[in-house]
Amino acid sequence: MVLDARAPEVNLPAVCAAVAEDKQSGALVVLCLAAWAIPGAGHLWLGRRVKGAIFFVAITLMFSIGLAVHGRLFPFDFSEPFVGLMALADVSAGFLYFIASALGSGAGDVTAATYEYGNAFLIVAGLLNLLVVLDAYDVAVGRK
Amino acid sequence: MQSHTFLLVAFAFFVSVVFSLLSKDDLREQLRFGGMLFGGFIVGAIVLGWLMYPFPL
Repeated sequence: MVLDARAPEVNLPAVCAAVAEDKQSGALVVLCLAAWAIPGAGHLWLGRRVKGAIFFVAITLMFSIGLAVHGRLFPFDFSEPFVGLMALADVSAGFLYFIASALGSGAGDVTAATYEYGNAFLIVAGLLNLLVVLDAYDVAVGRK
Repeated sequence: MQSHTFLLVAFAFFVSVVFSLLSKDDLREQLRFGGMLFGGFIVGAIVLGWLMYPFPL
């Protein structure tokens, strides 16, 4: 085999590093998606089992209490900015939101005394899950 | 489940648990920070409730 002196030199270590980085960022995206879909799954994946289990139980219970006290899962209606933002917070709870929607829960009862409490529980459960996703990301990239 | 106090305590408890686990790694620090947060929620809610007592005037 004759090597062509004009062929561009390949920087093998740099290529390997780029491939490894691509793989790592792909894994990070999957990790974050899993952490969003199932509260605490990111920490379980990273071997922080106790934390993951506690996050799962706490966020699931908060979301369930929110539904039980007549909270509402808000529609994606951005003509009312706060309604749209609350819908984003609700969907941040991951699979809980989709199960509740599929079961027809979360219609909300404005006349119930606990309606606003329910909304607070549902919204905060979703927002806490977002914080948990960010924490899982930080752990995965070695910041924590 | 209709009790406002129960819902207040439950909300404070869950938020304190998640925040303490997110911000501290040592068990003792988690318990200390979570306890302070939980107490702050409860005391803050009671104090704010009493401050709002005269309203609407």
